Amino acid sequence: MHLHKNVDEQLLRDTLKSFVGKITQLPPVRSNVKRQYREREIYYADIIDIEDRDVLFKAGVESGTYIRKLVHDMGEKLGVGAHMSDLRRTKVSSLTEDSGLVTLQDLEDGMYFYRNENDPRLLSRSIQSIEVALDFLPKIFVSDTAVDTVCHGSPLAVPGVVKVNKFEKGQLIGMFTLKGELIALGSAELASDDILKGAKGIAIKTDSVIMSIGTYPRYIKKT
Amino acid sequence: MMELPLENVKNEVFSVKDEETDVSYGAYPDKRSIEQRIDFGFVLLDKPRGIRSKTASATAKQILSPLGVKKVGYSGTLED
Repeated sequence: MHLHKNVDEQLLRDTLKSFVGKITQLPPVRSNVKRQYREREIYYADIIDIEDRDVLFKAGVESGTYIRKLVHDMGEKLGVGAHMSDLRRTKVSSLTEDSGLVTLQDLEDGMYFYRNENDPRLLSRSIQSIEVALDFLPKIFVSDTAVDTVCHGSPLAVPGVVKVNKFEKGQLIGMFTLKGELIALGSAELASDDILKGAKGIAIKTDSVIMSIGTYPRYIKKT
Repeated sequence: MMELPLENVKNEVFSVKDEETDVSYGAYPDKRSIEQRIDFGFVLLDKPRGIRSKTASATAKQILSPLGVKKVGYSGTLED
């Protein structure tokens, strides 16, 4: 944040803190969403460094928060005006800058080593499996015999469930194989506790299928 | 303090029944080949300042195209 005039440091710190919690903001003129006031939550905002009128801070915010707008509004509240000079995302859900961040140059180099020197190491750590990004999702682990029917879009019934994380009815659930592969995303028709207690019927309604049909064999019921 | 709502989710696993998986099908995510990861993989890209996310994803697609990569998208827009 670059302040347009000098500001008392304590006032600056207090003002930043006053934005933590629920705020309302109007999306900028040039934005891809409807321009109406909306509420967003600021989980934390901590100053890292202050150098004259330049303030480096780290904020944890709800999805859909405009940081440029947040900084602008901080400037208004301080009465001096401010604009955002730089912005960097350091985390999203369980992913951080230590989760295998690579540059475009790394991708280019990785391809070179892989194709010309038969060394897959750099490229291999650059391209990660989608499951890594889904750590935060509550999951349900599906029997090999039920995987293909889910791939066809069928809901998952309780007999196809082998293991569960804790979740409530209506929650977004990741459906995974026992090998930990993502099959599909769905919504819980039963709470995990009910499944563990032996409830019958549909456990998860399948919403979007990721795994291709035929990855696992089609299971035919013995008659 | 300094923590996001979904940052440190610990998803504890509870067994409904005992069942093994047949290794003849599928592939463990951490043992997939690069080619297998192309279909549903992701790159955590350290985007340089001053270029658009769209440009960065198009460049990534171009770099990876010899592997047969046909679609590249991005998520996590910071502005617009």
